[in-house]
Amino acid sequence: MSEINLSDIHKSFGKVEVIPGVSFSVERGEFVSLLGPSGCGKTTLLRIVAGLETVSSGRVDIAGTDVTHLPPEKRDIAMMFQSYALLPHLSVAENVRFPLRMRGIGSRDEQNERVKTALDTVQLSHLGDRRARQLSGGQQQRVALARAIVSRPKVLLLDEPLSNLDARLREDMQVELIEIHKNLGLTTLFVTHDQEEALSLSDRIILIKGGRIEQEGTPAHIYAQPSTSFASQFLGSANMLSAVVEDTGSGPMAVLGDGQRLPLALDEAARGAVSLALRQEDLVLSDASDADNGAGLKAKVRARVYLGARNRYVLELAGASLRILTGNDQLFARGDDVSLTIAPERIRVLAP
Amino acid sequence: MTDRLENMALVMPGLLLLGLAFILPVLQMLVLSVSGPDGFTLEHFTRFLSDSYYLGILWRTVRLSALITLITALIGFPLAYIMAKSGPRLRLWLTLIVILPLMTSVVIRTFGWIVLLGRSGMIPSMLRDLGLVGRSFSIIQTESAIVIGMVQVLLPFMTLSVLGVVMSIDGRLEEAARTMGCSFMKTIRTVVLPLSLPGIVAGGLLVFTLSASSFVTPSLLGGSRIQVLAGSIYNAVTQTLEWEFAAAQAVILFVGVALVLVPYLSVTGRRNG
Ligand SMILES: Nc1ncnc2c1ncn2[C@@H]1O[C@H](COP(=O)(O)OP(=O)(O)O)[C@@H](O)[C@H]1O
Ligand SMILES: [Mg+2]
Repeated sequence: MSEINLSDIHKSFGKVEVIPGVSFSVERGEFVSLLGPSGCGKTTLLRIVAGLETVSSGRVDIAGTDVTHLPPEKRDIAMMFQSYALLPHLSVAENVRFPLRMRGIGSRDEQNERVKTALDTVQLSHLGDRRARQLSGGQQQRVALARAIVSRPKVLLLDEPLSNLDARLREDMQVELIEIHKNLGLTTLFVTHDQEEALSLSDRIILIKGGRIEQEGTPAHIYAQPSTSFASQFLGSANMLSAVVEDTGSGPMAVLGDGQRLPLALDEAARGAVSLALRQEDLVLSDASDADNGAGLKAKVRARVYLGARNRYVLELAGASLRILTGNDQLFARGDDVSLTIAPERIRVLAP
Repeated sequence: MTDRLENMALVMPGLLLLGLAFILPVLQMLVLSVSGPDGFTLEHFTRFLSDSYYLGILWRTVRLSALITLITALIGFPLAYIMAKSGPRLRLWLTLIVILPLMTSVVIRTFGWIVLLGRSGMIPSMLRDLGLVGRSFSIIQTESAIVIGMVQVLLPFMTLSVLGVVMSIDGRLEEAARTMGCSFMKTIRTVVLPLSLPGIVAGGLLVFTLSASSFVTPSLLGGSRIQVLAGSIYNAVTQTLEWEFAAAQAVILFVGVALVLVPYLSVTGRRNG
């Protein structure tokens, strides 16, 4: 049975319908990410699960119980806020003890034991006596995590918990989050706008756009087979090109706006007007002479951005601008004519 | 260096004004309180402190001020919380209503209470008609009348100083508490109240000192039998013309207020570390 189940959730703020009907569920022990751009309604959905936001219509179940009309304190959840929301008048240890004290879990000694374990888990046991506001951002974030896991909730809700950290800390915390999730077997619903974070942490990703589910699936599936142009752009920042697919003797062929032709995989079934999703890392750049020989598309370099180990080029092709990532072995300058190739099976053909 | 000089120069007019208008009179009062016909004397203090009548007045003043402070906190905190959670328009209206009593003269406002609370006033007759109280029931010229009148006047000071602090509390702390198992009331008790304490302390200080030194409302609502210290000082100045005794009472009032406030401040100061 699924631990969290949302059925046909609608939510309006005033006249604005922010969530126009969403259903999904999270299995016991699963780590699911709600991924989407800022303002798409991720936080609202999480707050609906937490009970901090009422629904306009629909039903929320946690562990098989209808909790739609239960206040947050009656739901067996823990939530970690983007701003951490540590209580400034309490010490670190008292902050972590707070959910145990409020829910009346365990004796004083058991609570101490649990607080110690939770602080050990996030490697902060030496700071228990400090005030929350005396800690750095990364430390506060760990305290918030310890506080969220200390009561062993059925459901752990995380709202962009890593977005305020710098890159190094963020990677460390990702590893820690995965370990905590596995060790405690918590059912976790994780909100993020960062595709890499979602890809690396989740068992399953639910991609949200404008309050609706755009696509859901495992990271590998959703990355390799985005079903819409939004999905392919959001996950992997693919380039989108409009084209028309025609049948030729040698299989399906995409015809670009400027007449250039691009062979597609033989089993490609779509015909007519389409959008092609071309991943930055799948495009191969070579000398313009290759295109003259009929191997590849002719494009023009608009800009090159040096990224250390790699280069990013912005190219102009059929009136659109493409971004690609390449190594350092062959450099092109602004204004150069180049040839662009891509393996047919790496091209995603999507509805226009 | 020049910065400090500049700062000093900017502070000077204020300091001068404070010195002339506040510290000088206080010093003068201190001197007066220990002056007798033959120079230095403590007789005014011994007279006050050995007379149970005056001690009763002192005790009443402190007791009523503490009660008034407590009641304004009990009303002011929830009121400030509701105001903080209201929309900006409603909050503006509520603020206006809260400070409305300060916009009328204290005498007029107190006469309003006399009309309402007097022997044949609206409230006692209503209570008598409802059979809730006996026929000899009276509010006017009791300590209750003083407390009612003072709470109305001083409530804005408490409410507004709590409001400032409650407004600055991050609403997500309350939400976080809810997700950690607190009901609404428990959230108020364990999160909002402790975090509002600085505002309640500041408001309490204002209300306590203002009510301990207030004169018009207690004398009009309490009558001549129920005197507070400020009224007794007034009598000594205007009726019996014992200025030295009045000064001694003023010093006692000052020390009395300080004696209450110092422990109060040290307790709450420690809690807010
Ligand atoms: N309390 C609220 N009142 C009005 N509009 C809101 C409120 N909370 C969120 N919204 C709106 O709902 C939309 C989704 O917000 P949110 O769930 O915070 O998005 P996300 O977390 O994906 O960035 C946004 O357009 C936001 O402006
Ligand atoms: Mg958000």
